[in-house]
Amino acid sequence: MTRTSVWPQVEPLLTRVERPSRYLDREWGARHRDDASYRAVLVYPDTYEIGQANQALQILYAILNEIDDVGAERAYVPWIDMSAEMRAEGIPLFALESAAPIRDFDLVGFTLPYEMTYTNILEALDLAGIPLRAAERGDSDPLVIAGGPCAFNPEPVAAFFDAVVIGEADEAIVDFVRTHRAAIAAGLDRNATLVELAQVAGVYVPSLYDVCRDADGGFAGVSAEDPAPAVVVKRVVSDLGEQRPSSCPVVPFMDVVHDRLAMEVLRGCTRGCRFCQAGMIYRPVRERSADEVVREVMAGLACTGYDEVSLTSLSSTDHSQIEEILRRLKRRLSEGGVSVSLPSLRVDSFGVDMARLVAAGKKSGLTFAPEAGTQRLRDVINKNVTEEDLLTTVRRAFEAGWRRVKLYLMIGLPTETDDDVRGIGDLVQAVLGEARSATPADARGSVRVAVSVSTFVPKAHTPFQWEPQIPLDEVVRRQELLRSVVPRKGVDLSWHDAEVSFLEGAFARGGRELADVIEAAWRGGARFDAWTEQFDPRRWLGAFESCGVDPAAIASRMRTLGEPLPWGHISSGVSQAYLSRERERALTGTPTPDCSFDGCTGCDVCGDLGVTVLLGGDRRA
Amino acid sequence: MRDFRLRVCYRKAGRLRFLSHLEVVHALERAVRRAKLPYSVTKGFSPHMKIAFGPALPVGTAGEREYVDVFLSGYTEPEEALHRLVKASPEDLAPVEARYVAEREPALAAAATIAYYEVRIEGEGLTEQEVRSALERVVARGELSVEHKGKTKVFDLPHSLPKEPCVRSSSGGIVVELVVRMGQQGSLRPDALLTAAFDPATRPGVVATTTRRDTLIESDEGVWSRPL
Ligand code: SF4
Repeated sequence: MTRTSVWPQVEPLLTRVERPSRYLDREWGARHRDDASYRAVLVYPDTYEIGQANQALQILYAILNEIDDVGAERAYVPWIDMSAEMRAEGIPLFALESAAPIRDFDLVGFTLPYEMTYTNILEALDLAGIPLRAAERGDSDPLVIAGGPCAFNPEPVAAFFDAVVIGEADEAIVDFVRTHRAAIAAGLDRNATLVELAQVAGVYVPSLYDVCRDADGGFAGVSAEDPAPAVVVKRVVSDLGEQRPSSCPVVPFMDVVHDRLAMEVLRGCTRGCRFCQAGMIYRPVRERSADEVVREVMAGLACTGYDEVSLTSLSSTDHSQIEEILRRLKRRLSEGGVSVSLPSLRVDSFGVDMARLVAAGKKSGLTFAPEAGTQRLRDVINKNVTEEDLLTTVRRAFEAGWRRVKLYLMIGLPTETDDDVRGIGDLVQAVLGEARSATPADARGSVRVAVSVSTFVPKAHTPFQWEPQIPLDEVVRRQELLRSVVPRKGVDLSWHDAEVSFLEGAFARGGRELADVIEAAWRGGARFDAWTEQFDPRRWLGAFESCGVDPAAIASRMRTLGEPLPWGHISSGVSQAYLSRERERALTGTPTPDCSFDGCTGCDVCGDLGVTVLLGGDRRA
Repeated sequence: MRDFRLRVCYRKAGRLRFLSHLEVVHALERAVRRAKLPYSVTKGFSPHMKIAFGPALPVGTAGEREYVDVFLSGYTEPEEALHRLVKASPEDLAPVEARYVAEREPALAAAATIAYYEVRIEGEGLTEQEVRSALERVVARGELSVEHKGKTKVFDLPHSLPKEPCVRSSSGGIVVELVVRMGQQGSLRPDALLTAAFDPATRPGVVATTTRRDTLIESDEGVWSRPL
């Protein structure tokens, strides 16, 4: 296929738009493989500064560019000023490296980081001149695929994709590209190609699955056409160290979110919080060894020139060798002003000790997630943290010199009562008291507790996947109640927008009927919905209404345990039996231990997927 | 301990002229780290690289000879330092020269006040003479007020333009060479001057590209010299 650069047309626009560095390419680490015969473009459905640091895309970019004769590029959604200029000039969405239109690539791969980016997928496809729906695409169009966390319930966006990769794509993308190239070489048409791809493990081809209806026209599950598998089981990498690409990550010019070296130290978290989708879908825990982490951090800092490294994962302080890793890094980075950061901390003194190890004088603030205000509710969600743990941890942090903590909490968890909401107020009060008493009198004025409250959204593949989300007016009422019980002085209270949570709830567990809604909302002007100033709930309500879909019936309906679920043909490896058992235990307030500390609790991931928990040593309980 | 003050001249060219000053600062700091130069760090709670930049270039303006002082804790041959920096930099933001300068020399940001600009103008049938007279008319006003980000700044043109602008034709347009004296309270942007020079109703010409050819240090005695 011929691919021509549109750069000469793009360049004059850059004097007229905000932040032109979004569109420049030429960053350190950007790969230019214009001569490769197979070309892929990885698209993040938001702006450059939001998507650039996405670790999954950075890894896939490196992996694809390491394959002989394959070139991978990047694309982001241009901000509204730029897309208006591009539409006016007839310039299609282009990939950064070659500035070639993305419609001329062989493969266009989107990541699905969170539900509120769905309209941006359509914005990108439309700007690219690629038909929005897979069914409308022909042999001259690229394959448009998706992956990422939201792929575990792909149904709301299934109509827009030719294929969806379920689970970890590190190896799956290589298999996918190999099969696609073979299909191109064999001259297969689009449908025949998709049939081949549907047989690659972890690949879901929506067009080969039909929705079944019962006698009343209700949803009765999804059935696969031969030879597509009835259930698509997620891909999972057994050893993170094995196929790690050695190339240097892209270092942006622009001040992007997470502008630092990110080093993944482990994958998965089995603490077993029952509301947490990530904890269920990324099982089992696989740690990378301390030697490997230290070696790669040093190499990554040297090749990027970053002055900060973040040790990322769902729970980095759970790594069995985290203390060794931090001590070794600290020793080697003592000169040169390079700092190490941890994204989140365990709620215990060990967490604070680790934070002290990396803080080296600058103590900006610590973040903890007790999630719920009462012990009863924390037992329901399996958050094995007591109020005493939290207060001891806070005391230690303030004694060590920190003056700010941030607490993550939720309202709307299953079984929550007004007492639990009031419990949040008591907990915040207790934290504030502990923080003040641990702080020297002359510094007490600077003690701040930030409280960030989100509304619980039940997610697919979790023990709470059958639970109703609390309705919008109830969210507002509980927020009011909370506002009245949380102390004012010394506390910064912030909310997750109730309407956004409501929409997330509909997309998290909705089915294929939502594709029309997303398209209608986009046609009505919705895009960049994750940007508060761009989000307009009226566009969405109008879209739901015009499509005859009731979002409340999706988000706030109690499901029965046996009923078919829209994501029933997608498996995270965690068995439905385990999920329903965990739900039972939740309702009786029975905790379940973490299998990376205490032995298998029978979620069935390990045996079925041929993987196992991989630790560098014994974990510290 | 004394630092070694390595003065580096670099270019900001091609599409990277669209970088902001802050982006250039970060990019060069990262290049210094990638080059493994023994840079000094400030003392205190959050130590950072000791580095001092010359006057900022706006987004969209290229620079052929921009300057930065990198403070090193150990001596590295200037040729070696330059070589390592070049290897660690993208082509359009690459160092071109490096040499040590005395610590007592004034800071670049304050001392480098004379800027040589080359502005390329495009316009249907626009002649050299038209540009020349448009510029003469605006300079004759003696003062120019410019609005930028909601603020109005008034420039004393004889002070801001220490030399008479020079206009010449080149392939594909007309080139204006300007010498601008920059000030602590903001500097006259060449595109602002040219936009003011052209009649807003007819807009006979538009600024296509602006390049800062060099910045010079003006001594108290009024003598101009290159920082390197
Ligand atoms: S199968 Fe057992 S050991 Fe493996 S992740 Fe699940 S609970 Fe943990």
